[in-house]
Amino acid sequence: MKKSLIALGLIAVLTAPSVVNAETLRIAFSSAPRSMDPIPFSGAPTASLREHVFEALVGADDSPLLANGWTWISDTSLEVSLREDVFFHDGDPLTARDVVYSACRMMYQVDGRRNLLTSSMGPVADVVALDQHTVRFDMHAPYPLWIQKMKFLPIMSATEGDVADGPIAYDAEGDCGIAAYPTRAKYEEGSASIGTGPFRFVSFDPSGEASLVRNDNYWGEVSEWEGVEIRTIGNAGARLAGLLAGDFDVIENPTTEDLPGLEANPDLAYTATPSWRSIFLLFDVSPDGAPGVIAQDGSAPLSDVRVRQAMSLAINREAIAARLFGGEATVANQFAPNYRTGAPELPALDHDPERAVALLSEAGYPDGFKITLAAPSDRYSNGARVAQAVAQYLSRIGIEVDLQTQPWSVFATQRRERELGVFLYGWGHPQGAAQMISFAFASRNVELGLGASNYSNYTNADFDAAMQAWAVETDDTIANGYLGEAMRVVMEDLPGVPLYYQHTIWAHRADLEIVGRQDERTLATTVSRR
Amino acid sequence: MVSFIVKRLGQSAILVLIMSAMVFVGMYVVSDPVAVLAGEDFTEEDRQALAVELGVDRPLIAQYLTFLGNVSQGDFGTSFVYNRPVLGLIIERLPATLEVALAAMLIGLVVGIPLGVYSGLNQKKRTTKAISFTTTVGYSIPNFWQGILLIMLFAVWFQVLPASGRGDTVEIFGVGWSIFSLDGLSHMILPALNLAIYTICLQARLARSGTQEVMYQDYMTFARAKGISRDRIVRRHLVRNILIPIVTITGLQLGGLIAFATVTETVFSWPGIGKLLLDSIHNSDRPVVVAYLILITLMFVTINFIVDVLYALLDPRIRYA
Repeated sequence: MKKSLIALGLIAVLTAPSVVNAETLRIAFSSAPRSMDPIPFSGAPTASLREHVFEALVGADDSPLLANGWTWISDTSLEVSLREDVFFHDGDPLTARDVVYSACRMMYQVDGRRNLLTSSMGPVADVVALDQHTVRFDMHAPYPLWIQKMKFLPIMSATEGDVADGPIAYDAEGDCGIAAYPTRAKYEEGSASIGTGPFRFVSFDPSGEASLVRNDNYWGEVSEWEGVEIRTIGNAGARLAGLLAGDFDVIENPTTEDLPGLEANPDLAYTATPSWRSIFLLFDVSPDGAPGVIAQDGSAPLSDVRVRQAMSLAINREAIAARLFGGEATVANQFAPNYRTGAPELPALDHDPERAVALLSEAGYPDGFKITLAAPSDRYSNGARVAQAVAQYLSRIGIEVDLQTQPWSVFATQRRERELGVFLYGWGHPQGAAQMISFAFASRNVELGLGASNYSNYTNADFDAAMQAWAVETDDTIANGYLGEAMRVVMEDLPGVPLYYQHTIWAHRADLEIVGRQDERTLATTVSRR
Repeated sequence: MVSFIVKRLGQSAILVLIMSAMVFVGMYVVSDPVAVLAGEDFTEEDRQALAVELGVDRPLIAQYLTFLGNVSQGDFGTSFVYNRPVLGLIIERLPATLEVALAAMLIGLVVGIPLGVYSGLNQKKRTTKAISFTTTVGYSIPNFWQGILLIMLFAVWFQVLPASGRGDTVEIFGVGWSIFSLDGLSHMILPALNLAIYTICLQARLARSGTQEVMYQDYMTFARAKGISRDRIVRRHLVRNILIPIVTITGLQLGGLIAFATVTETVFSWPGIGKLLLDSIHNSDRPVVVAYLILITLMFVTINFIVDVLYALLDPRIRYA
């Protein structure tokens, strides 16, 4: 009896993995991941769950992940070499064929429904497996941004579908000669959720629960957590209570009011990381006037750059960051976060209400004018309160503000209908520092993919020229030069006013440490014991 | 009775029709699913394609008629977000809400009615005043705040009950139920209590005023004069006579508990239909919202019907022609 116990103990010791930690990390999300299928949804909660299981060729910091590296062999062709030490959870090695398959599924309709991420593949004409570990992406036209966009192409195993042996021929319809792709249900019940990531799929429930187990054969650093349990609690108070009660080790998005309490509690702590999301006001600068913007003389005040400068000068960004966010927001000096790779160096933005008043008079509005400021109430952390603060700052220089905070669904609809003259908005910058300005301020250019979300009706020939040159430049240094030029122009013209860069905040047990990333993801791999 | 049922069915059909039209138009006017679902980098052409895919590119009337046609064949549509038939989605989430609502109702009746009858019978006692005060307070506390308070008390300070979630579920009829597992039950106590407190207070107040009214009726005096024991008077004569308003309110409340447990479900992260409704409104997922509200209307109609039948059983004077 004793002997067998010793033997059992020995076996336990010998078979234990090198990282001895039998602990499961319990995380509370603030909103629910929509699916385990890596393709159809792009929101942060879905991506957080996905990235535990599936990986892309490019990582969040734009460096190679499943790729070894890449080169532009022509203006329109990118050759990517794959790591050779990567295995899927079912034991198959990662090959170029899997990359082609993943690209095919990206284009294919998921359960008969167009994939909501499909536009990510728009510029790609062909994907070719050159050998086991090299794949070539051919573009319709020069498209240097493809490197950034590969982040959104999760790599799946070609064995999951009903795929014939031999090479797969990519086509833009995603048919690729493949008889059947797995349905979304197959991912949610698990049989198709085979990725290369640091965790394997165990279970998923659309109410926002998921359970994962460590991938002991991970090609990178094996996680110190044996498993991950994810639950979703929408209400911030209840989420914090769950942390206090010991139901969770890490929770997302504690409110700003809770931060001092967390600091005072010896058992708990919080970590804040500047994210790639910037928050700003946008103006409709059309000379014909903007919805909800009324001047006594019937003119269009927002079309005058002096008015826009005055509005920027009126706002005290330092105070917003310090008081509304308890210091957990970074004051903005341009539309992209200034710490995002490629963002130009620019001076800080002034707060000078007196100069603002003078500028308004100079522009012909000594008595101000009226605007309607729209803001989504449930989209950005403290969003409604920021909008209130902005409204007060603007009213101090004589602009009468009718503040309208609305649920996101209502706000997004009105924005699409171009019914908003001045609105609070936020953009993440996963595709680099040019992302927001290239979509929101460039003149519409379908071929180059510019200006798709230009709700400002802003046009500037210098800005457009810089953006168009940027859009086709494959050399990073030169491209960043164009980007800097464009940013400088748009910061002079101010078709909007940058406010601050959001921080992602986690509350957690005091003995844990989180090295957060800019991409707002909550990942077990970023959490470790101190 | 038969003509009563037929008339009721006709009324319900019209009610459901009006309801569906109202929700349909409301959702259409307020938010555009394409604006909510489309990615930021979508071009106008991408958005158009998505609108066609979701079937929201056509005029409102055409969309509504198609919807009615499908419903008449039992098809309530497909969720924009989950891309699954909405009926299945709702039915999947229904048990979670049903069990917590029924538990709350049960607690409310079992605790509330005796409290109310007791305080109606003993108006001068101190305990009565305490009950009256407590029920007034419990009646007025916002559900939301009360939920957080319960969590702080039982999950954080005393650490005796879990703060959120459903715990282990037992699969019956292909769907999970928390009520049949010990862990699930412990998860259910706080949300059920949170829903029950209001019900307890309401029932107690109803039972009390009913008791005060019935107590001085001639038949009560007569029963006492006959020398019937106090216990028997309370059970046979009093409780039976105060039940009619209680049954009405219970019926309506049960409907309310099931349909609008949203706040409690959010606070306790209880994955019921209330949470589904809220998420769907948020995501502009019109098929789910419309189907949900139609089902809820049907449920209210059914509950009211049962209440009417119960009336007849409780009070022999009520007859339906």
